[in-house]
Amino acid sequence: MTEDKAAPVSGSILVVGGGISGLTTCLEAAEVGYEVFLVEKNPYLGGRVAQLNQYFPKLCPPSCGLEINFRRIKDNRKIRVFTMGEVEKVDGTPGNYDVSIKLNPRYVNENCTCCGDCEAACETEISSDFNFGMNKIKGAYLPFEMAFPARYVISPEIIGTEDAKRCKEACKYNAIDLDMEAKTINLKVGAIVWATGWEPYDAAKIDNLGFGKYQNIITNMMLERLASPNGPTKGQIFRPSDSKQPESVAFVQCAGSRDENHLTYCSYICCMASLKHVTYIRERYPDARIYIFYIDIRTPGYRYEKFYKKIKEDKNVFFIKGKVAEVNENPDSKNITVVAENAVTGEKIKQEVEMVVLATGMQPTTKNVKLPADLKYNEEGFIINDFEKGGMFAAGCANKPADVVSSNQNATGMALKAIQTLVRR
Amino acid sequence: MADKYLVEPDVEFIKEVVGLGGDTLKKCFQCATCSVVCPIAPDNKPFPRKEMIAASWGLKDRLVGSMDIWLCHNCGDCTTMCPRGAAPGDVLGAIRSYAISEYAVPKFIGKAVNDPKKLPVLLGLPVVVFLVLGFITGLLDFTPGGDEIVHSHFFSSWLVDMIFVPLSIWVVVIFGIGLNRFVNDMHENAVLEGKTDKKKLEIGGLVRALFTVLPTILKHSKFSECSENKERATAHLMVFYSFIGLFIVTSIFFVVLYGFQIHGPYSQLNPVKWLANVSGIALVIGSALMIKNRMAKTDQVSNYKDWYLLWLVFGLGASGMLTEMTRLANIAVLSYPLYFIHLIFVFNLFIFLPFSKLAHLVYRTVAMAYGEYGNR
Repeated sequence: MTEDKAAPVSGSILVVGGGISGLTTCLEAAEVGYEVFLVEKNPYLGGRVAQLNQYFPKLCPPSCGLEINFRRIKDNRKIRVFTMGEVEKVDGTPGNYDVSIKLNPRYVNENCTCCGDCEAACETEISSDFNFGMNKIKGAYLPFEMAFPARYVISPEIIGTEDAKRCKEACKYNAIDLDMEAKTINLKVGAIVWATGWEPYDAAKIDNLGFGKYQNIITNMMLERLASPNGPTKGQIFRPSDSKQPESVAFVQCAGSRDENHLTYCSYICCMASLKHVTYIRERYPDARIYIFYIDIRTPGYRYEKFYKKIKEDKNVFFIKGKVAEVNENPDSKNITVVAENAVTGEKIKQEVEMVVLATGMQPTTKNVKLPADLKYNEEGFIINDFEKGGMFAAGCANKPADVVSSNQNATGMALKAIQTLVRR
Repeated sequence: MADKYLVEPDVEFIKEVVGLGGDTLKKCFQCATCSVVCPIAPDNKPFPRKEMIAASWGLKDRLVGSMDIWLCHNCGDCTTMCPRGAAPGDVLGAIRSYAISEYAVPKFIGKAVNDPKKLPVLLGLPVVVFLVLGFITGLLDFTPGGDEIVHSHFFSSWLVDMIFVPLSIWVVVIFGIGLNRFVNDMHENAVLEGKTDKKKLEIGGLVRALFTVLPTILKHSKFSECSENKERATAHLMVFYSFIGLFIVTSIFFVVLYGFQIHGPYSQLNPVKWLANVSGIALVIGSALMIKNRMAKTDQVSNYKDWYLLWLVFGLGASGMLTEMTRLANIAVLSYPLYFIHLIFVFNLFIFLPFSKLAHLVYRTVAMAYGEYGNR
């Protein structure tokens, strides 16, 4: 161990993406003394984890990890956070990058106390992206209770309307600035970690699984929001068509995953996610019957296997080996019939249920929109880490599909890679 | 099913199926999407998922005698929806091709039909037969002369029938031998896999079922249920009906020739000639469409067995029509050679009927009848 732990004076690190991987990279680097810039495109930190109800396999809420991380960021003077920021340009070489970042206007400054008066004054309602469009929120909103930075956002949709003026007038703290404009900042950094994360695969693209066509077919991430206490139903799991408590639910595993027509790979988390969802439903509805249709259940490692075994003991949970390839809706009851072949018995099964959950996979955000930097991607859009070249690294789900634990381990490793870039300069 | 099952894979079988167009076989991971999206698979033991694993494990006995491989009409819905790019439709096609050569004896002929290197031999055989028999009997006259082209003056009807009547008997005998084994295997397999409620096979019931499924076959209604490549149904229907039409024409011609001693060529005003012409044109257009469809389809495997049959049928139709057209145009120098070529194609179609892909017309019909009979 070397005694000299001080970082080179000019060496700073840019972390792009404020989800669980980005937060971890940022903190690991900052807490050993490096200056870190954290850029996040949303108005809040926490990424996909913030949308979850619980982590698997411990079933604790995401506030567990996020709260402490937000606290650490707040207390660390080495970290500068830019929300609503997007990297526009990256020039330079490892150890010496010039980065332009566009900061979109939030229209709310640091005076905000989250009193909520603007929200009450605003009349326009917009669809909630955070809740996958399952409810509407006001044009002036706090992304979620635990949002960091704890500050409201004015949606660009109401800018220039009477509503925006109403919000401004309602604010007692002079926190709303409707003249705020997008601006570009330039940073000099030695290393960049891309933690640009993932988005749920668009289930509407899976023609034969009826998402978007039948109301009572939802996705796994939508179920997370339904089960979350801060979700659109305040943690009640209702089916969309009539807000009925579902007495039977079918899970469709590998919905668009391991499929050449959609995502060719296994997203690693969906099996565990569905098993976790079983616990959400079973604890709320003790008589509900659950059908899990799968190709094979993938629960890698001792802890995940144990979780799976426990769920299998539940008499109301039925596992059927066979992928659902057809769905039909009963137009009166709005119930869904899923069709699969039970590959063990060789019988075609037509199971009618009150709600269907599609276990869709993760698609890297870099699949559709490439980053403005010299990076390599694989066919699926994940960033390939080029350690020979160094300087820029992908962490977490920007690099491969992963659960939270693996993302954090990977993020820690990439923090070290970024530090190595600076030290070797 | 027994609790323990000793898998005895027939590796040669796997290799052959792969070679016959089932090269995507090993990509299958048994998700069973195919069995669900198949518009014509039954609810009880649907295909083609179970065929995919059986083929992959080399369980030949479960496949060659299975009616299910014939109930499949290779529409390709399964192939389109397959998440792995495995093509169950093509694999079943390959298994069918294997099954045809398994039931048609002697087997070496089936092998030759599926081997592109043997093509010159297959085409050369009728040439030798025609020439040798023609010279021995003197029924082949290369200088027929006369003002009007009469093909029987060149290639005597006696010679035609001397060759093709025994050939027809050959076809019936080979099919008979194959069907005898096939029907029993099919029943045994269906009982074993629980696909039928009949314990004992009764031929009478099977024949009655054959009449029940005839309308389905004539209307191609199973074929049309497939959504993925509907255009194939039209082309197939054209070829199917043109063969029926030509069969009727040939039968009438045969009866009229021997019963009433009236020789061809018939007048273009004769209704039999109309049927012949319509059928001939339908055959050419239908087979051309099939060739075009196959060429346009990049996601479907087409190999030698498919092309052999398609070009043979097209060649048969085209040479037949050209023979007639050159005869009407009075171009003897073209018309007689074209007739000779036409007869080569006809010979090939007949002699190898039980061995080529065309044998599906018998096996699929019988399998569909059995499915009806066994309440599949």
